[in-house]
Formats: sequence, structure tokens, C-alpha cells
Amino acid sequence: MKRAMKIDPNDNTATALNDIEAGETIRLVSKSGPVGEMSTKQAVPFGHKLAVSDIKKGEKILKYGEVIGMATQQISKGDYVHTHNVESALLPGAKEAK
Amino acid sequence: MEFLGYERPDGSVGVRNHVAVISSGRCANEMAATIADAVRGAVPILHTHPCVRLKEDNERALRTLAGIGSNPNVAAAIVVGVGCENPTPNQIAEEIAKSKKPVETLAIMGSNGFQEVMDRGLATARRMASQASQIQRKPFALSHLTLGVKCGASNATSGILGNPVTGQVFDRLIAEGGTAIFSETTEVIGADHLLVKRAVNKEVARKFREMVDRHEAMIEATGEDIRGSQPTGGNIKGGLTTIEEKSLGALAKTGSSPLQGALEYAEKPKANGLFFMDGTAMTGELIAGVAAAGAQIHIYNLGGGLTSSFRCLPGWAGGLPIIPEIVVVSNPSQPRDSQEKECFDIYADTIIENKETVAQVADRLFQEVIATASGKLTKQEMRSGYRELLVLYTTGPIL
Repeated sequence: MKRAMKIDPNDNTATALNDIEAGETIRLVSKSGPVGEMSTKQAVPFGHKLAVSDIKKGEKILKYGEVIGMATQQISKGDYVHTHNVESALLPGAKEAK
Repeated sequence: MEFLGYERPDGSVGVRNHVAVISSGRCANEMAATIADAVRGAVPILHTHPCVRLKEDNERALRTLAGIGSNPNVAAAIVVGVGCENPTPNQIAEEIAKSKKPVETLAIMGSNGFQEVMDRGLATARRMASQASQIQRKPFALSHLTLGVKCGASNATSGILGNPVTGQVFDRLIAEGGTAIFSETTEVIGADHLLVKRAVNKEVARKFREMVDRHEAMIEATGEDIRGSQPTGGNIKGGLTTIEEKSLGALAKTGSSPLQGALEYAEKPKANGLFFMDGTAMTGELIAGVAAAGAQIHIYNLGGGLTSSFRCLPGWAGGLPIIPEIVVVSNPSQPRDSQEKECFDIYADTIIENKETVAQVADRLFQEVIATASGKLTKQEMRSGYRELLVLYTTGPIL
């Protein structure tokens, strides 16, 4: 089974350890071992991220247990997460929102 | 645990035993190279610093070149110049002399001309190389080691594989009483609040904060938006979405030790433990600064993709001949070609393949650090004699 690494238990994203297709069932792993399974909605290239829970527009994107940006649109569990639906929280204007 | 190193008069311990022939300014590069190339055991330190710089840059150049000459991997140094450089050969040599190692100055000004200086340089280099060759390696505690680190070709695997591996090695060396230095000020922007929390006291936190703000102000003063350059196009293609994500992944290479201090570029740490050094993300500048601060070994964490396909070519600029560089690659292209199989020191992609854990790869890297410190040549040290001119870190204009 293909895998994705969820680095911190609080993360709402995981990083693909294989090229993942849409509609695949994958295994989520932490640094110490497997933590569950889920299915994907979209294709996610190796090293890129997918959502492991639903994320509303404007919500924080979490990796390493920390904020890596904000959702610019509604993101569903299993969706591909990248520059098309996330922007830096260090943007001018977003700074206040943080 | 111990490694076999070369004891220096100031109590520091080298992992290499070079005679450094340092050019004081770019006008003297050819002279320095000609002397060093003619003497086995001598290495030239060549760079692009001209005399037409402002005070701050000249002072930083002095600190960098003197720091390289004072590095424990250098047994003895010759500073070569026309004599009119800024910094002058004498200024650099006076700073190196504080490390109590043999150092001599060669300047054309005040001599009987180029040929006389060359002859004297060759004789001096041969004498220093002969003396250095008689120093024997002896066992020393790992607390004498200082590591530097830089990441390149970052992709999403750097932050989850190679960088956490280096972070564990940093933690382990620091637990043994050693020192580790990380830099790349641009790359901590976005994760700086986490480092502030790790500072040992308010003064360290304040100094670190000040360096990050200063760097950001310098970028903003140009009118450019930093988001335009970070993360780079290559980073985005590799899966990194924002500067925060890149910075958090980069931060993983610092491990979890408390931050003991924030150093100016090329400044030597006054204690052991984990240190931040102000500096750019340009490899050559960074390695020079870390070497000037006293690091004997440098770890280069490659994500993969483009840069791993550079293979054995020194395509990433700026290896410094006096400090060995251990290259860790997280994600070489698949399938690996014949060169990629053997041109890096540590492969961390076994974690992707589910064959090893982060901790197991970190243990391999830690053993590699000790072996390299004791004399094992790194892949980079075994490459061709091709070398790049060092570009020194500057913040002001060329006049």
C-alpha cells in the first residue's frame, strides 16, 4: 500500500511518500509507524501534500504541528494541497489575521 | 566517544592538516594558487573580494579570511597579497596569529618583486607542509568537534527525511559536549518564533530576533517581495507550498537542543552547543562563514531532484577545500543511475522504502562524522581538482 507521512498528530496534511492516484486507499504513517488508512480524492505527486481532514476556507494548514499557510478555498479530506489552494500566512494583510 | 584529530597550539583539534595559502584580495589569487599548487599539503583560499568595498564588508572579509586561517583544520597559513588590499595581508595574518599557529605574510609591496615573493612563498609553503606532516593524529573527545549544516535542492523530503536525520546528529553531538552551527537567515523567516522559544535566555532571543528583522528589512528595502523568491520554483515543484513550510522543514536540521547564541557571520562561538549564525542561503558564503567560525566538518543535506542529478560534479558552488563536506541525499532520482549510486556519502531514501527509520539513518551519519573526523575522505574530497572562487558575504555595494 502507498504511504503518506503525517509528521505531527495535530497536522491536517500528510506528505506523500509515493506518487498517489485519485481514489486510492493509502496508509498514513508517523515517524514511528502506521497511524491509519484513508482514501484520496485527487492525485498527489510524491513529496507533495494531501488533506487528512476537511479544511474550511481561511483555516490554518498544519504540518510539523505548525502553521504553514492558510486555505484559500474549501479543501476536502483526500484533496491535493498546494499553491492552488494555500497561501502563506506571512502575506501582508494575512499577518493581522494570524 | 572519540575521534582521531590533530592538536593545535590553541587547544583546538583539526580533522584535516592543511597549509592554507590565503589570498588577501582577488588581485593575489593567481599568486596564492601558484604557490599552493606547487606544494603537496597546501591548499589555496581564493575569493572574489576586491579592495573597493565599504568598511562593513571589508571588516567581514577580514573576519572570514582570518577565521578560515584560524580553523583547526589548518596547520599553518601563508597570507599572500600585493600589499594594498583591504584587508591587508598583515591584518589577516595578525588575526590568524592569535590562534598561535605558524603564519607568515607575503606581499609584493616592499619586496624585490614578484619572483622573489614567489620563491619565498614556495620555500615557506614547503617548510610548513613538512612541519605539518610530522603532526600525528591523536584521540580526542567529540566535544572538540563543531559541525555546520546547509540544505540544498530542498523538497518535501528534506523536511521529513534528511533534515530530521541531521537534527538527531546535532542533538547527539551536543549531548557529547560538541557544537553545531546552522545559518541561512532567509530560511528561518517563517519559523523564527519557534527558535525564539528555544533560546537559552532573553538576550539570545533578542539578538536572534534582531538578526532576522535586519535581514528582512534589507530585503524589503530593495522593494522586492520575498515571496517572489522563496520558496523557489524548484521547491514548489518538489512539493513545498509556502516559505513557512520550507522554513519549518529547514528548522528540522537544527534538532531540539536549546539555542545557545546568535552569531554574526564568521563569528566564533564562545561556548559549546547549538548556535545560529547570520548568513545567506548561498552555499559558498555559508560554508566559508561556518568554517571561519571554527567548524571542522560540514553536512550538506540535499533534497534531491535537480541537484542529485548533478551527480559527482561539484555543480553546487562553493565547497571550501579546508573543511570536508558530508553530503546526505534524501531522495535521489529513481532509478538511480550508476553515478548517483555512489557519489553521495549518506542515502536517506531507505526511510521512503520503509527499510530504515530516521534514527537508524542518523546513527549511520553520526558514525560517518566520526570516521570523517578521523581522516576518512568524503566523496566531495575525492572529486576533481576543479575549484570555485569563494564569494564572500557582502551587504554593501562595490565602489
